[in-house]
Amino acid sequence: MILTWQIVARIALLLVAAVILQLVLFSEISFLGGTPALLPVMVVCLGLLGGAVVGAVCGFAAGLLLDSALLQTLGVTSLVLVAVGYLAGRYRESFEISNPFVPPGLAAGLTLFGGFSFAAIQLMLGVDAPVSVLVVREVILQSILGFILAIPLYPAVRWVLRPALVEGTPRRRRRFPVTLGASSR
Amino acid sequence: MYRKQVRRRRAVLVLLVIVSLILLSTHFSEGSSGPLHGIQRGVATILGPIEEGADRALKPVRDMFDWFGETFEARGENEEYQEEIADLRERVAEAESAVGENRQFRKLLQLGPSGGIDGREAVTARVIARSPTVWYSTVTIDRGSSSGLDTDDPVITGDGLVGRVTETTAGIAKVTLITDHRSAVSAKVLPDGPSGVIKPEVGEAGELLLDFIEEDSDVEEDQMVVTAGWRAGRLTSLFPYGIEIGNVTDATSDEQETYQRVHVRPFVDLRELDYVRVLTEPGNAGDESRAANGEAG
Repeated sequence: MILTWQIVARIALLLVAAVILQLVLFSEISFLGGTPALLPVMVVCLGLLGGAVVGAVCGFAAGLLLDSALLQTLGVTSLVLVAVGYLAGRYRESFEISNPFVPPGLAAGLTLFGGFSFAAIQLMLGVDAPVSVLVVREVILQSILGFILAIPLYPAVRWVLRPALVEGTPRRRRRFPVTLGASSR
Repeated sequence: MYRKQVRRRRAVLVLLVIVSLILLSTHFSEGSSGPLHGIQRGVATILGPIEEGADRALKPVRDMFDWFGETFEARGENEEYQEEIADLRERVAEAESAVGENRQFRKLLQLGPSGGIDGREAVTARVIARSPTVWYSTVTIDRGSSSGLDTDDPVITGDGLVGRVTETTAGIAKVTLITDHRSAVSAKVLPDGPSGVIKPEVGEAGELLLDFIEEDSDVEEDQMVVTAGWRAGRLTSLFPYGIEIGNVTDATSDEQETYQRVHVRPFVDLRELDYVRVLTEPGNAGDESRAANGEAG
């Protein structure tokens, strides 16, 4: 990814939009009994398009913004999303994305990883109430919803960031040689 | 060249992880008036109006999703409800006597002209954002300290207790719901049942536990649980007496004897909060909030 100020601004706008959408829309709706997690999916998309460094920085920024907006402990969400973004970026740097189901699959897997990491951090920080096994169901449902969300989100993010993508530069239409006076008929 | 890239990549990762850990530990160790909390409140204040605008703009989309969700659930629950209707018909007679009790409770609540309880003034607020994980049950409301809200003010709806205010900025406030793992509310089973502490079970959004009840207490299903509102010397409970919390759904004698607890279903649907009322200390609620409540003049 070629990072210019315009692209950085576009990424920042995408992250702010994702945080706002998460807080006012996705957290309020229940789908199949679970709450969709947009942020990990967005961070995975950015990691897949920009690489490990872009993914990790975007994860950190998104987590910080979410924790600040919710006035909750700073650093917890950042820590999880840094790992999610970095791993997505490492995948992109190590393997070719040849199958269209790779981004949704990776979004589902890394949302699952993020959900369990978040739970582990919370348990380490101390939970003052009994924990139900339904937490596991919630994390798995978020992973499935992450798969569904990534299907339209990955192409959308790719479209927004297309000027920065090396493989996304428009191909020149191949010109056929023209012979004056010749006809194909 | 490649090695340099790898080193840079790893350095960025390590740096971000260290910064996250520093933020985490500093946020925990410093008081609520610390610099990190101040910056966080500043960011939240800036984001507040954006969230409010987005919340209003996206309400039709949310309603559409809710409609789909409710329709989907309603189909599955249809048979269950048929059985419940038969059961409920038998309970109508019992409910008649409960109506009388309800009138008495309402008198006990001492509802004031502004909808306040126990001499407190009520400020109406809109829920504009919600925490996305089951580990934090918090919502953000569009009223803050400029409307007279303060930390630990109880938050209710017409159905019962919602939670309490835990952070405020000038324009918004964070409400920690009774389903958050850090929440604990002293409660009492009506009419003359035992007292205990209402605690949540993380992951079970629609259920609470009434914990630490006496071993020999006899709690039955459908008994109402309200806030206990205790007073010991100069110390008083954060919640005034008599705010409805929920009713007992599961009260097996084994669980009461072994774990000294029963299960309670909250009256308020905490996933579907649109408007709430914050009970502020008298005189705190400013002109702005009175106007919002339709009490101006």
